[in-house]
Amino acid sequence: MSSAKYYRTEALTLKNMPLGESDLLVTLYCKDIGKLRAVAKGARKSTSKLVGHFEPLTINNISITKSTNLDIINQAETIEDFDHLKSNLIGMAQGVYINELLDGFAPESHSNNDLYILTHNVLKKLASHSQARLPLMYFELHLLRLSGLMPEIYHCVECREELSPECHRFSSDYGGTLCLQCKPPDSVIRNISLSALKVLRMLHKANVNRLPELKMSPSTAEELDSILRNTIQFWLDKEIRSKTFLEYLRRSTADTIYS
Amino acid sequence: MTLDDIPSAAPSLARLIQELNKLPGIGPKSAQRLAYHIIRLPANEAYDLSEAIQMVQQKIVFCDECQNLTDKSPCNICSNPQRQRNLICAVEDPLDILALEKTRCYNGLYHVLHGAISPMSGIGPDQLKIKELFSRLSSRDITELILATNPTLEGEATSMYISRFLGSTNIKITHLARGIPIGGSLEYSDSLTLSRAFQGRQQF
Repeated sequence: MSSAKYYRTEALTLKNMPLGESDLLVTLYCKDIGKLRAVAKGARKSTSKLVGHFEPLTINNISITKSTNLDIINQAETIEDFDHLKSNLIGMAQGVYINELLDGFAPESHSNNDLYILTHNVLKKLASHSQARLPLMYFELHLLRLSGLMPEIYHCVECREELSPECHRFSSDYGGTLCLQCKPPDSVIRNISLSALKVLRMLHKANVNRLPELKMSPSTAEELDSILRNTIQFWLDKEIRSKTFLEYLRRSTADTIYS
Repeated sequence: MTLDDIPSAAPSLARLIQELNKLPGIGPKSAQRLAYHIIRLPANEAYDLSEAIQMVQQKIVFCDECQNLTDKSPCNICSNPQRQRNLICAVEDPLDILALEKTRCYNGLYHVLHGAISPMSGIGPDQLKIKELFSRLSSRDITELILATNPTLEGEATSMYISRFLGSTNIKITHLARGIPIGGSLEYSDSLTLSRAFQGRQQF
């Protein structure tokens, strides 16, 4: 970021909250600045030129004035509104989950262009991919990778030996896969199936724009979901609330709610 | 802010500052200014204020029907025989009812959800008055449910959740129109608002 008083950037809105009578305190993930909190003055007034621009899951070109405390957003022009996600409940919940993860992992004012591009691409991919879980898992794994927390999935984290098929387990807190011989003290170890490990390796090497239409069994999907969730929760050290909501939506049916 | 943070103030004054500081939007400085303003008030005005706070705490309850805040249940709107009883308008907040009543263009009943679904804040459907709405809809002859949640991500999520779980019923589900506000400008409108405005255009 330059030392100029004004600057422009492209930014994804992660969340917002009311500030004062009519302002919004906006948390953004900017293409070339990283995570940033800024004030959109008057953005809650219906006639404001900023109204509607800072809803979560919106990418804007914004113009910002530096300030001693929180920077002030002067102008915004929406370039991507992810309408395809916002117009269905599951899509919206998936988008909000991505926002919560990004908010949790990204440090403030630390640029990570690859992470911005990953988020943008996965949000676009969520609507078009037939199995929406796969792009989400891709995001979870590569978010860990780009944050420097990628779990080991090719070798044993303890003895560094290459893993043999069907001879592996996984430990979120120890940093990835373990062979059957290694049992590090005070680590939580779980089984990981060969198919789950293969999907993880495929996701690691795949390009988000060419994600295969993989037919995953429900049990493999559940296993991967649980492994990635545990790993993310271990590093964030808190519950991911929007994931809980997403799972609630997947489980619930009209009959159980409308009674 | 704790009492130890205000060592120079008298204990009763420090307590008042501490209590005022708990109110939304009131920082430590504003709390101090308000406290000193209350001290300078005539005694009867200060007592009126404290009595008003006590009265709302003692008397205000949720209306059994619409979940609005009221001092008698059912509230004035639910007990009014002139209102159309086959229409329910679901809103997020009691203040939304005041805004809609000012328009004088709706004569049905309301249902206050007391918030909106916000997954990132941990507010799910169970924290809102959604089950009360569903039980109301299943036990009455309601023909239309108007979803008047705010046009925010949280408000839209709430509306979509409700309509998703009512999809199999015969109740007509509508929501308020989205578009350009009066006094607004096309040039500065965001693309989602403009696309919603186009989708909801009407014959002139």
